[in-house]
Amino acid sequence: MKLIKDKVAKLSFVALLMTVTAAMFYTPTASAHGEKSQAAFMRMRTIHWYDLHWSKETVAVNETMTVNGKFHVFAGWPETVDKPESSFLNIGIPGPVFIRQGSWIGGKLVPRSVALELGETYEFKVLLRARRPGDWHVHSMMNVEGGGPIIGPGKWVTITGSMKSFTNPVTTLTGDTIDLETYNRENTYFWHTFWFVVGLAWVGFWIRKPVFVPRLLAVDAGKANTLITDGEKKVGMAFAAGTMALVAFLMQTTNDKYPVTTPLQAGLLRGMIPIEKHAPTISVKVDDATYRVPGRAMQMTLTITNNGDEPVRLAEFNTAGVRFLDSKVWEDDTNYPDDLLAEDGLSVSDNSAIAPGEKRTVEVTASDAAWEVYRLADLIYDPDSRFAGLLFFSKENGQREMVTVDAPLIPSFI
Amino acid sequence: MSASQSAVRSRAEAIKVSRTFDWMICFVLFFIILGGYHIHYMLTGGDWDFWTDWKDRRLWVTVAPIVSITFPAAVQSVLWWRYRLPFGAVLCVLGLLFGEWINRYFNFWGWTYFPINFCFPSQLLPGAIVLDVILLLSNSMVLTAVVGGLAYGLLFYPGNWPVIAPLHVPVEYNGMVMTLADLQGYHYVRTGTPEYIRMVEKGTLRTFGKDVAPVSAFFSGFVSILIYFLWHFFGKWFGSTAFVKST
Ligand SMILES: [Cu+2]
Repeated sequence: MKLIKDKVAKLSFVALLMTVTAAMFYTPTASAHGEKSQAAFMRMRTIHWYDLHWSKETVAVNETMTVNGKFHVFAGWPETVDKPESSFLNIGIPGPVFIRQGSWIGGKLVPRSVALELGETYEFKVLLRARRPGDWHVHSMMNVEGGGPIIGPGKWVTITGSMKSFTNPVTTLTGDTIDLETYNRENTYFWHTFWFVVGLAWVGFWIRKPVFVPRLLAVDAGKANTLITDGEKKVGMAFAAGTMALVAFLMQTTNDKYPVTTPLQAGLLRGMIPIEKHAPTISVKVDDATYRVPGRAMQMTLTITNNGDEPVRLAEFNTAGVRFLDSKVWEDDTNYPDDLLAEDGLSVSDNSAIAPGEKRTVEVTASDAAWEVYRLADLIYDPDSRFAGLLFFSKENGQREMVTVDAPLIPSFI
Repeated sequence: MSASQSAVRSRAEAIKVSRTFDWMICFVLFFIILGGYHIHYMLTGGDWDFWTDWKDRRLWVTVAPIVSITFPAAVQSVLWWRYRLPFGAVLCVLGLLFGEWINRYFNFWGWTYFPINFCFPSQLLPGAIVLDVILLLSNSMVLTAVVGGLAYGLLFYPGNWPVIAPLHVPVEYNGMVMTLADLQGYHYVRTGTPEYIRMVEKGTLRTFGKDVAPVSAFFSGFVSILIYFLWHFFGKWFGSTAFVKST
């Protein structure tokens, strides 16, 4: 007897472990902190985020903030990643610490997936409302079907206050204002508890008298049909009839209570409006590019031709959200995250203004620890060792012009 | 002590031991079923069961009964043919729902802060009760599969409707019509579940217009019949004992 008890105790323990495993098996992705582990070419050659702006660094629960900016869908989209024909503008936060009150591409609300065109630039905005206090890294993010999440730059934002005070009022088309945070919760608890109790009653009814050993013996002895009494069959009928009647009744009362319901809404949104393109007035040819591993620096030889009517200077090289600036030409005043900003990371062999019509070949070096910190240097180990990014030229009147570059990269280990 | 000596000395003691056995087996069975069934259901039903904005009139209604009739069929077969006990389906579903609620409450809400009204599990008990009763009354696998399987599929949508309907009330949101469930999916950010993987309202049942849910439920019921047969045999095979002949 003791032996059996021990065995069953052990088995129960195993079963409990299995339960815990099963219950813990799945938690929805809580962390959006995969930015550094994403392959460098994915971040450099798919979606280029720029002009990003986080409206607040500290925000109280129930208050809103926005993340806005532009993204350029790179024309040299890698072969290995599906084209962004079905993409979803997301926000990279660890679960619903904010709620997404709204998100727009080119001024159009995008709660659904959208089709994006290669080579185009779009304006976007995400409106967030703070829900759960803490320090959170808020990233811009685009999910691309067949390509996975493409995470943009992130900035730390602090939410203050208490989650208990968070409410999410919504007014329905039937005129009721509800709190979506708790709406329908008690109703759900009630019906789940109700049916659970009915289920327990059903099992309880059958195990009210000895179950396994005597019944097994009886079945093995060929007396199975004596095990179920007529009374038990009647109880069974009552359970089934009661269940079906109740389901039908509840269906009716629910329909009476909610006469207006619509199916879930889904579908792809097309016709996203990109930012109007201007005929490029600057052309850039990459003569060669090397990445010096010890110096954490990328060197490019660029031949720049100014076909416009105003002198221009190279101000910034932006790749994977890391910005290398020439501080003599351009200073950041948007409070861009420090770790992604090399204020003086760009040096140009001759960065005097390039006159209209002038063609000049310059040596450009983009150096910063961010190459290593953000594992961008890993692209020298990619099968298709190319780099890509955005060059920003500034004009005297403060305007900028963006030029994309895309060229092979040769590593140098000395 | 010789090996042939009985472990119990009286009839009263035998009954007591047998009863202790009952509780232990029930307890262990509940948790083992819970573990296996829960994993199976998460892998096959997954997002359809996790999120209210996946609980549509077509695919959720079709998928959930088909993938959830599996374990009930198998356990019914063991408990009925070996013990004449008609609570296999309900026991399974109780275990599943218990595990799901633990997962949803502690992981989805407690750990990741998704509101419970967005990530509660689907209700499967009405169908399970009817499935058990049909087996009890018919004592026939074929009848249970055909009548019970169909009933299991048909009872799913109406059985869930009292908790789902409130979430299908429409709202106007910045110029678009959405249901409250759609809005939950939009508001409560899921970085790992982008909108395009949401499979709702897709399919070829367009010709049925508004009455798509009953048609889906019938279809689901028919497939449930087939799945019931299959898993009933799994249960039979699993529950059979083979003794090694003594030499
Ligand atoms: Cu981050």
